[in-house]
Amino acid sequence: MNTRIALSTLMLALLASPAHATSIYGGQARAAAVCSHCHGINTPSADAPFPPLAGRDAAYLQLALKQYRDKTRQSDIMNAIAGSLTDQDIANVAAYYAKLKP
Amino acid sequence: MKKITPPFATAIFAVLLWPASLSAADAGHDAAHTLYQNNCASCHGSDHGGYLAPALNAETLKGRSPTALRTIVMAGSFDTLMPPFYGKLTDDQIRGLVKHLQTTPKLPNPPFTIDDMKASLKVYVSDESQLPDKPSYAIDSMDDIIGVAARGKYGRGEGARAIFINSKTHQKIGEIPTGTAAHIIDYNPAKPRWAYVKTDTAEIFKVDLYTMQAVRSIKTGWNGPGMGVSRDGNYLMAGSFVPHNAVILNADTLEPLKTFELEGIDPDGKQVSSDSGMIIGTPFADIFAIALENAGQVWIIDLKDDFPVTRITDVGRHLHDAFLTHGGQKLMVASYDDSIVAAIDLKERKLIKKLEAGCVPHVGGGSAVVVDGRTLGFGTNFGDCDKTVVSVWDLDNMEVVKQIPVAGGTESPAAHANAPYVAVDIISKDRRARTVQLIDKKTLEIVKTLDVGGHAYFPEYSSDGRFLYVSAGYNGDEVVVYDATSLQKVASISMESPAGIFSHGRVRYMTRGLSPDEMATALANSPGAKP
Repeated sequence: MNTRIALSTLMLALLASPAHATSIYGGQARAAAVCSHCHGINTPSADAPFPPLAGRDAAYLQLALKQYRDKTRQSDIMNAIAGSLTDQDIANVAAYYAKLKP
Repeated sequence: MKKITPPFATAIFAVLLWPASLSAADAGHDAAHTLYQNNCASCHGSDHGGYLAPALNAETLKGRSPTALRTIVMAGSFDTLMPPFYGKLTDDQIRGLVKHLQTTPKLPNPPFTIDDMKASLKVYVSDESQLPDKPSYAIDSMDDIIGVAARGKYGRGEGARAIFINSKTHQKIGEIPTGTAAHIIDYNPAKPRWAYVKTDTAEIFKVDLYTMQAVRSIKTGWNGPGMGVSRDGNYLMAGSFVPHNAVILNADTLEPLKTFELEGIDPDGKQVSSDSGMIIGTPFADIFAIALENAGQVWIIDLKDDFPVTRITDVGRHLHDAFLTHGGQKLMVASYDDSIVAAIDLKERKLIKKLEAGCVPHVGGGSAVVVDGRTLGFGTNFGDCDKTVVSVWDLDNMEVVKQIPVAGGTESPAAHANAPYVAVDIISKDRRARTVQLIDKKTLEIVKTLDVGGHAYFPEYSSDGRFLYVSAGYNGDEVVVYDATSLQKVASISMESPAGIFSHGRVRYMTRGLSPDEMATALANSPGAKP
């Protein structure tokens, strides 16, 4: 696992930026509670119709989540789920999944 | 969950449809029934009476909002095994299913007879004598094998497998697809190449560990986890929740030999039909012991003649699982409803004592360790009470030694003769579920809490006691391995929704935590033991 890399990245992030910095750990907690039930952590279930998120581009993930949230991108289930996320959540979750190896 | 009064609209709609389309409604019912059996029944019970998951029938779902139920089916339920069916079932199917559940009563115990079992026997390898006579992979000892019941996110499908790992290298050595979720893995104590995997839907696979393939399978019921292997490795016994029966099988061919209807008079004097609880073979004698959950009885079945039954009654209210101690002569059985663990002497065939056991005791595989000459038993409890404890008993004198406060409900303790700590999994449904707590064997105090992730459960030590394996179940999708002494994470093995972990070493130490040397001594002294 890349715990050490994740840790050092987090420490750099903490050092480099002011409040509201992206938090990988915050993203991990949110992903575990909100996303992983369908998308899994590294990969969704082999039987599931959900796309994998690990290793996807962070900017793309953020954009998609924001579009789902403001319903410019339509999906019953994602519109509902993204609706519960704050900007900070979205940034954290996107950063977390982007860091994972698929 | 918020309770919402159902709108009258559904009822009116149903009434309007009724006269016009009777046969269409029948067809809809059959389709919904099939959907239920294929997607829900392995957890919620073939009889709609609940199993690993809540009962879903007209009675239990009375007054629940169909919209809310649809949402649960679509999105799944967080912090449980309930997966999201969005995209797997169509919106119409989900609506039909919810309606079906809210109008179907719990079904009467559907039969599954010895003839049904015989008809379900499948042979994948016809001539076992052609199989190689040693493992097809490098391994120091077969006891180094650890088996994991990977449930698969949907409790079935691609992810549902029994996965075998070399516990020295932490590498997977074999994967056996099981169709529905694997639940229990037992090993043949006399013939180390054979393992038996039982699924949620009561299929048993006979697995050749040397070539890592299933050689035969048989379906022994609709639902139910109970399974045991006799000490000579010649017999298997399996028990079901649905229907209420148990069966003895030939462990080589999986052919059913005799079935038992599980019924009897419960401690309150009522004649009841009963689920099968734990089934256990013991190194002490050529017997099986089986717990009748609702009847509160333990039956001892001699493996001779026509398999005669000795009934021990009034053991407890709602028995479940158990573990062995003292060379397999004593059996400790958990009883949910009166929160005791009952000690049974398998030699005298009688109840020794009922011991206080916290709140809804679920002992899992149980654990026993010898500390300063005393044999201590450890029992977990999954009730969500004010006081959550792990019970420690002196198994020589059958006394409660201590009730150790832990962070929440617990399901399974792991111990090993060579490892300093007893591990218990916290299962309370919040962040605590991510953790496992470690109890020092000597001080009987919690010394550390490990954040494993997911819904961590079913800790198990490798047979040498050097490593602690834990399933980061539900959404964790990995088994995490710790050094048993430093408690540092040393490896991660990925799989879908891992649950029970079963070390092959269990056949040598009988109950986790006991030393194999003591077992050998106990065996040599037991009646009818082979030299």
